[in-house]
Amino acid sequence: MEFELSEEHRMIQGMVREFASREILPRAALLDRTGEYPADIIHAAAVLGLMGMMVPEAYGGAGQDSISYVIAQEELARASAGVQAIVTVNNSLACDPILRWGSDDLKRRYLPALAGGRALGCYCLTEPAAGSDAMALTATARLDGDHWVLNGTKIFVTSGVEADICIVYARSGPDPGARGISAFVVEKAFPGIRVGKVEHKLGILCSSTAEIILDGCRVPRGNILGEPGQGGRIALATLDGGRLGIAAQAAGVARAALEDSTRYAKERRQFGHVIGEFEAIQWFLADMAVRLDAARLLIYRAAYLRDLGRPYTREVAMAKLFASETAMWAAHKAVQIHGGYGYVKEYNVERYFRDAKITEIYEGTSEIQRLVIARHVLKH
Amino acid sequence: MDVVVCLKQVVDPELPAQEFAIDAGSRRQVRAGKALVISTYDENALEVALQLKDQGAATTVTALTIAPAAEAKDAIRLALAMGADKAVVVDEPRAPALLGVEKAALLAAALRRAGAFDLVLTGCESADWVERVVAPLLAEALEASCVTFVSRIEAGDGRVAARRLADDGVHTVEARLPAVISITSDESNRPRLPKIRDIMQAGKKPTETVPSAELTALPDALRDPGVDVREVTIPQRTTKCEFFEGEPADQAVALIQRLRAMKTI
Amino acid sequence: MSHVLVVANALDGTLARSALELLGGARAITGPDQLDAVLLAPQRLADAAATLGRHGVSRVFHVAHAALGTGQTDAALIATEAVMERAGPQVVLVAADTVGRELAPRLAFRRRAALITEAMALHQDGETLVARRQVYGGRAMATLAATKRPVVVSVKPRSFDVPEASVASGSVEDVPVTIDPGSLRAVVKNVAAETAEVGLEEAQVVIGGGRGIGGAEGFQLLQALAEQLQGAVGSSRPPADEGWVPISWQIGQTGKTIRPNLYVAVGISGAAQHIAGVSGARTIVAINRDNQAPIFSLAHFGLVGDYRQIVPALISKLKELKAI
Repeated sequence: MEFELSEEHRMIQGMVREFASREILPRAALLDRTGEYPADIIHAAAVLGLMGMMVPEAYGGAGQDSISYVIAQEELARASAGVQAIVTVNNSLACDPILRWGSDDLKRRYLPALAGGRALGCYCLTEPAAGSDAMALTATARLDGDHWVLNGTKIFVTSGVEADICIVYARSGPDPGARGISAFVVEKAFPGIRVGKVEHKLGILCSSTAEIILDGCRVPRGNILGEPGQGGRIALATLDGGRLGIAAQAAGVARAALEDSTRYAKERRQFGHVIGEFEAIQWFLADMAVRLDAARLLIYRAAYLRDLGRPYTREVAMAKLFASETAMWAAHKAVQIHGGYGYVKEYNVERYFRDAKITEIYEGTSEIQRLVIARHVLKH
Repeated sequence: MDVVVCLKQVVDPELPAQEFAIDAGSRRQVRAGKALVISTYDENALEVALQLKDQGAATTVTALTIAPAAEAKDAIRLALAMGADKAVVVDEPRAPALLGVEKAALLAAALRRAGAFDLVLTGCESADWVERVVAPLLAEALEASCVTFVSRIEAGDGRVAARRLADDGVHTVEARLPAVISITSDESNRPRLPKIRDIMQAGKKPTETVPSAELTALPDALRDPGVDVREVTIPQRTTKCEFFEGEPADQAVALIQRLRAMKTI
Repeated sequence: MSHVLVVANALDGTLARSALELLGGARAITGPDQLDAVLLAPQRLADAAATLGRHGVSRVFHVAHAALGTGQTDAALIATEAVMERAGPQVVLVAADTVGRELAPRLAFRRRAALITEAMALHQDGETLVARRQVYGGRAMATLAATKRPVVVSVKPRSFDVPEASVASGSVEDVPVTIDPGSLRAVVKNVAAETAEVGLEEAQVVIGGGRGIGGAEGFQLLQALAEQLQGAVGSSRPPADEGWVPISWQIGQTGKTIRPNLYVAVGISGAAQHIAGVSGARTIVAINRDNQAPIFSLAHFGLVGDYRQIVPALISKLKELKAI
């Protein structure tokens, strides 16, 4: 059993922490207010190797393992969950499926751009009538000569507005459910794909969430991931990786809530004492600290299994479930500790509160995670 | 142009005051268990060197440090990850207690031993003892030009133009190579962050460790520091801060009343 | 008591105030007729030489040479070394300013002298010169004793008061020094003087902003407060490094040392590097969100909260009082 980070992991953690404190933290509140896409931050992140962390160096990535990835994601999310959402989607949901199921040609064409910050990726799975039941999706893909022709509407696409490269799931065969689904790499520049409605949402405001409309979109035949009909499996396996990033995002938000609350508890005076001297506050802080550590350990375990190539669906579901509920709970308590100041925008905790909620929803709601875990529990 | 950057590791100066203690025996800061970092301005010096390399003016950048070898690892690794080509560690167990004169003597000997260099950069001061002597002493010992408190360097033919932040403004100082220049910070030399790829590569770059005992050719003028550190004490702060209570406006009024009563304003 | 040589820098064409402060520092370690000065200037400065005499210098060695211009350390070193050789002092005092910080170690090297830099207090312990200086960014004070002679000491500006002037009794001797321009390895080619509108070092009230100010805009608020108090605005290191304020605003170990009547530290955590430059202020007020910030261990008065609320409240209260 080893509970120490390696020297490289420590250095990467230090670098990302410094990057976040220099480039993200000072602007996090403003980005939340304006909802502006932080193009320069994403560019800087790409230069450091953060946009394609697990992409091999041969494809322009940083060649890191999953542990390194979750360490970096927590640091980014501690500063801004919105910025981290853009980063993690690019890494886990765009680069990863191309790396694992893309042809050599697709890897060569897309990975260096995605990892190098020259292109941004998004993930088009959810549809208006297919959310938690993703395999009920109805978008279609029909082969027409050398092209697939895609039709359908995808919603809740993170980075949908800015993304250049979309991983799109569509039904390519008559089989119902997962077996009829295929996964495609679709450039925004292809004819027949456009951005539809842009959502106004509660949190992670500097990352866009949009509808992507496929209207006879022509995709070169080779831009399929894996084989026709493999898309359902690809979607689920990709989401396992994605959940690592979301779990780490939640840990980052929980840590922000704890750190800000700790600082506030030491500076806020009421009844002649700093409020950190009151047990009611101390208990909140203690519980936040325990849950954060537990979440992080679950995340590291899931990342560790992934790096060994072992199944980790159950473990990452646990990590994502526990970390996201910890983030929500910790942010809730952070607002409570801050009292009236927690409810106003001058302090960051109301942002954490809004940002935390999404972690319980996207890439599988808490209920779906419990379902996944329960299935594994009941198997034995 | 070959550039050598002298780096020193110090106990993180940002650590809270309650973690600061003086060891009575050595009359130096207690280091055990404390986080070590590259001394502030030394990182800026490294950044200036790396910028010269980016511009094509520097061919190699070497990081040079005097430290107990085991302690130097993190600093060297970081310097190499940031972009230094190689590192030289002068292994000296007493390094944390050495005065600037003694450090300069070892650095001069190490630089002589290493052979050719055109430009040596140091931080303008160390974050711990703030003696500000290493660059000038090194320049004398190496018979090189000296400029201190410089924030930017432009390389020319056999010379450099240095932007010196002076008491009365900004001086442009032209210096012949070889030169020893001490670096202060400004917005142009904020230390870069190492890329992940470079962090991974850093371990593969050459690092040479030289036991300080092998450096015998010390400059005569620096053999005896001529100074005895008699005492190092932490001054007892006598002020007890008086906090004003209440909302911002209340605090503001209370402060102004107080300052007016004291006739401070 | 020691025979002292003070390096009087007039490279700008006027005698630096720091030179007179050195004479104040010399009082503790030297007796009458044992205080010499080397006056370095680009041309003959009879007034400056006389000023040194009135402040207690018994022998002024005046080196006037065109090469001795602003910031020309190499030339100043040659001249000082020549005079040191001639006057044979046991102690040389140099102001730790742009030229002096560099000149002191180089002079010590050349004359095989002991070296103490950034001294803030001097005394004589029998035959031994003892200096006190800040170490660890002002968190501690070190007492250093010179174990050999001569000893070159650089003195941190504002450490000593300028001694009272009286009737001059000393001599002024012009010392011709040969400075071969070809031998100068580093030469100042241009001086871009900073507009000294701030007057940070002289201001009786200084408002300092730190990392907590968050950006250049925040400093406008501090300016407004400074206006109300007829004060100047300075900063700790991070705002200067970030480019929020000019480097010349920086107060601290690197940067200016101030001794105002009132120092208001806003959004400054109190890194030792900064404390080293402000500990001479008579009254220190700290405004910070973190009541554990180290600045409060130095401050006399603390306001805990967001400066964006507190500073406007201070401004409006001061305006209100003025209106009465």
